Amino acid sequence: MKKISKFIVDIFLIFVILLCTLPFLYMILMSLKSTVNAYDISLNFSDMSFAHYRKIFSDPTFIRYFFNSVFVAVCGVILTLFTSCTAGYAFAKLKFKGSDKIFFLLLLTMLVPSEVILVPLYLLVRGFGWVNTFRALILPLPTAFGVFVMRNAIMAVPTELVESAQIDGATNGKILRTVILPLVKSSMLTVAIFTFIGAWNNFTWPLIITTDDAYRTLPIALTAMKTQYDTDVGLTMACAAVTFLPPFIFYLFMQSKFEEGMALSGLKG
Amino acid sequence: MKKKKGLSVLTPYLYIAPISLILLTFVAGSLIIAICFSFTKYNIITPAQFNGLYNYQKLFRDSKLQLCIINTLKITIISVPAQILCSTLFAVLIASRRKTFLGKLAKAAIFIPVLSSSAVVGTVWKAILNGGNPVVKAIFGIFGINPTMLLGSSKAAIVTLALLMVWKGMGYYMIIALSSLMSISDSYYEAARVDGANTWDLLTKITLPLLKPTIIMNTFLATISSMQVFDLIYTMTGGGPSMSTTTLVMYAYQLTFKSAKSGYAMAVSNVLMLIILIIVLFQQRFIRRDVSEL
Repeated sequence: MKKISKFIVDIFLIFVILLCTLPFLYMILMSLKSTVNAYDISLNFSDMSFAHYRKIFSDPTFIRYFFNSVFVAVCGVILTLFTSCTAGYAFAKLKFKGSDKIFFLLLLTMLVPSEVILVPLYLLVRGFGWVNTFRALILPLPTAFGVFVMRNAIMAVPTELVESAQIDGATNGKILRTVILPLVKSSMLTVAIFTFIGAWNNFTWPLIITTDDAYRTLPIALTAMKTQYDTDVGLTMACAAVTFLPPFIFYLFMQSKFEEGMALSGLKG
Repeated sequence: MKKKKGLSVLTPYLYIAPISLILLTFVAGSLIIAICFSFTKYNIITPAQFNGLYNYQKLFRDSKLQLCIINTLKITIISVPAQILCSTLFAVLIASRRKTFLGKLAKAAIFIPVLSSSAVVGTVWKAILNGGNPVVKAIFGIFGINPTMLLGSSKAAIVTLALLMVWKGMGYYMIIALSSLMSISDSYYEAARVDGANTWDLLTKITLPLLKPTIIMNTFLATISSMQVFDLIYTMTGGGPSMSTTTLVMYAYQLTFKSAKSGYAMAVSNVLMLIILIIVLFQQRFIRRDVSEL
């Protein structure tokens, strides 16, 4: 009896593993097929090639999309780390009037449904004259979630450390840089990964705020490529694979950080 | 000396200024725009004209809007229970196998769709379902399904989309459920086993009751996210065939960018925003009460 139930659980797990990985294997496989007829089912490894990848990486428009994605995600990470570490430090270690109220107000912004406000956000940013700019893609990326994570992490740092540094005459900026941040690297990494993946995968916002190829990112390119290379499944799949791989590689190396962050984001409410 | 003191009082505010400024501008700013423009006639190009409650009155006469509300509800009703059921089931199964290779592999695999962009998911599934590949055809053939109909027919498309949302999202809720499962002390299970409880008893009398707050929270999170799904629909069907997958967010998008009716679009999205905010407030009270009961 025990053996049978163990067997059924194994079957279930194998089923879910196949269900979640096969579409991505299909993507990789199709992107490596050199034949124009990508629906050729023969699994002949001799005609696997990186021809599609070579082709998209020799297309200047695609390289531009790729660069935009990297640039926006990296700037988003830097901006988010900066804003959430400074604010997290202030909320955790500095005493000031109204700190609880302001923190609560910032957290309230997380309750605003993000997809629903995109059209008004578009009207607002358009009013600033920021359509087709990197500013428009990067500045709205930081959220209160980063502040929440960093505040909790910095609160766990012993206050005595901060006080003794103050006695030594260190400024707040120096305390944050030399005392606090080295102790909360792990939380900073969580915030950085989440911001990077969020910015990299972001679809709706770049779709509506950019119309010019010079500012569009990979996920948008993918929907555009689909029509451009309508018949060439291999080429589209190569683009999809390039968009898919960076978050996936992060995940392979930092699985525990992901799970930590997910559990936190669930608890935030 | 006095001046320095005055400055140090300001320091904390200086530290919270960047994030406050960003959130105030973009989040609060958008909310104000959404409310103000909903009382105007605005086509993005010419200046907005105040037209009072006209947009809100129009909501009640718009048959397309009714269709979009029904589509949004359909997606929510299909995807949320399936998502919660799958994520809880797999969390329990993976927890029971967490030390084996298969368990670890399953935990990693179920999360891959979560971390990939909707654009990738949409493109890949569209390529799979468009039916050219004989292997795919054969696999769906086993269940008597023609894969091209899954997105091509207006009846099936919305179900297909809802199931793809389950496929993409269940790993997220699974991780949350799993981390809460891990916090259940082994001593409960040991004590129950001493009393002669079987696996089913352990599941229904210990695991599920202790997991209840997490399941409730996951249900709220899944409801809120499925009511505002946009990117997956945009990449998979674009709202079609014949509006059968146009949800409220999609409708507001089309009104702004295709029909140049931004004022009315704001009224539509404000209705959705209000519904979601009510759910969120309900969730806050619900979860707090449930936690205090424990």
